[in-house]
Amino acid sequence: MSKKLKRSIIAWLLLAPLVVLVFFPFAVMFITAIKPQTEVLSPHWWPHEPRWRNFIDMWAATNFGQALWNSVVVSTFATLGAIVISIPSAYAMSRFRFRGREAYRQFLLITQMLSPIVLVVGLFRVIASFGLIDNIGAVTFVYMAFNIAFTVWMLQSYFATVPKDLEEAAWIEGASRFQTLVKVFLPLVTPAIAVTAIFTFINAWNEFVIALTLLRRQESYTLPIQVFSLVAGRYTVEWHHVMAATFVATLPVAVLFAWLQRYLVRGLALGAVK
Amino acid sequence: MRRRNPLPYLLILPSFLLAAAVIIWPVYDLVQIASNDVNRFGQLRGFNDFANFTALFADPNFLAAVGRTALWTVAVVAGAILVSVPVALILNSDFYGRDIARVIVMLPWAVSLTMTAIVWRWALNGESGMLNSGLRALGLIDTNIQWLASASTAFPMEIAIGILVTIPFTTTIFLGGLSSIPGDLYEAASLEGASGWQQFREITLPLLRPFLNIAIVLNTIYVFNSFPIIWVMTQGGPANSTDILVTHLYKLGFRIGQLGQASAVSLVMFALLLFFTIVYVRLAMREERAHQGA
Repeated sequence: MSKKLKRSIIAWLLLAPLVVLVFFPFAVMFITAIKPQTEVLSPHWWPHEPRWRNFIDMWAATNFGQALWNSVVVSTFATLGAIVISIPSAYAMSRFRFRGREAYRQFLLITQMLSPIVLVVGLFRVIASFGLIDNIGAVTFVYMAFNIAFTVWMLQSYFATVPKDLEEAAWIEGASRFQTLVKVFLPLVTPAIAVTAIFTFINAWNEFVIALTLLRRQESYTLPIQVFSLVAGRYTVEWHHVMAATFVATLPVAVLFAWLQRYLVRGLALGAVK
Repeated sequence: MRRRNPLPYLLILPSFLLAAAVIIWPVYDLVQIASNDVNRFGQLRGFNDFANFTALFADPNFLAAVGRTALWTVAVVAGAILVSVPVALILNSDFYGRDIARVIVMLPWAVSLTMTAIVWRWALNGESGMLNSGLRALGLIDTNIQWLASASTAFPMEIAIGILVTIPFTTTIFLGGLSSIPGDLYEAASLEGASGWQQFREITLPLLRPFLNIAIVLNTIYVFNSFPIIWVMTQGGPANSTDILVTHLYKLGFRIGQLGQASAVSLVMFALLLFFTIVYVRLAMREERAHQGA
């Protein structure tokens, strides 16, 4: 037996308990989701026959479509807004040496540490004073603002890795700073922007406490709140619908994340060093 | 003397205004209600000599929540770090399927805490939960355990789930740290006849120390703030016995309508977080200087 094969077996054996724990919730979600209603409450693992129709029934029974749409709208616009506002900042921080740059970096760091939960009472009152409770536009705005620190941080750490030579060459050719930015710089950093945008989208997609506080009517619920409302404070919970809903809401994001996680790791690491 | 270029300031202005608006405005509002007499509808009725803070520190529920927050934070952070160091060491070594193993370990990070907590709430259900039926099938228990019915089982479970969802981020930090340790250090150590454990103690651990510090501080901040797990699984119940500061705060503000006291809790937490953050910034800056010096 080769040395690497032996090492691989030991590594996987050591990781096995964690792997089981990671997959356990997915198994619970999936198996409950395909159980017929009569079997959901009986304590055996496998259904006698998989009931795929649950996914279709769930869609109507849990108001899934509306919540999905709200989540898509909120997350998309929050992401677009945060990225558009962050690009100039990140560009300034990676391309200019200016007074207060360090201070601004620390300010961003501190804003990122403050979780919305600490401010939620104040936030609720401010939003309520504008009469914007139950307004998904307000939620979008708050998400956008709370993600700014993350997006500027990630973007500037990627921007700083792009060599200046190409831009300088364009200036020598007589291009203006703005032309250079649009024609030379932005195409180079498109992948970084895309990755940052996707993580911002996932953040917004998964957010709980702001949505729980600012959204009061079912028509404006985002997915996490909609699914939570099916469980919280009810005497009978239709668990097969709830699990089907969490499964459908979770899987696309999990796949996206699994595919892109190495970029997040790299961006965070770069941000910590630069 | 160079002329000050206004361009960078103009470029950072929009992001600054937005990030500041969602922080400064609510904080200003919190200070106002915390230091004033406030009725149920949020109207201010004059400065009240910090009555909200005095009431808070006389409230046994608040004091219990403070203690439980400390337990929650220390247990989750310590647990996550104890698991993540060996996991990172394994993932840093060369073995078949390492890329897949990394993706699996990172997976809980992708799922929203709300969804994770909902699934566990169902899995821990006393009568029909799949944890009980799984454990019974394995012969580990004879009778169903009512996991979420009392704090003595519910809170440890919540801590365990807290640890599970904190592992991916912590492992990520350690993987970053391990990749910065030059491999020839280990080669030299093996030539000298150092055992694996000696190499870990004399090389890995000291060089990992700065990353350990950062993981402790950042996780302390995140776990201290973590709301969805406890709120979704038990809502701080039964009878407030699993409340931590964030859930206590939420109940005060949005269940009982004690806006003044809720704001006071927020400000206490704000101060603590600011303290943690300053510790983090100092650690990170020391780290940065060490790098530049090397």
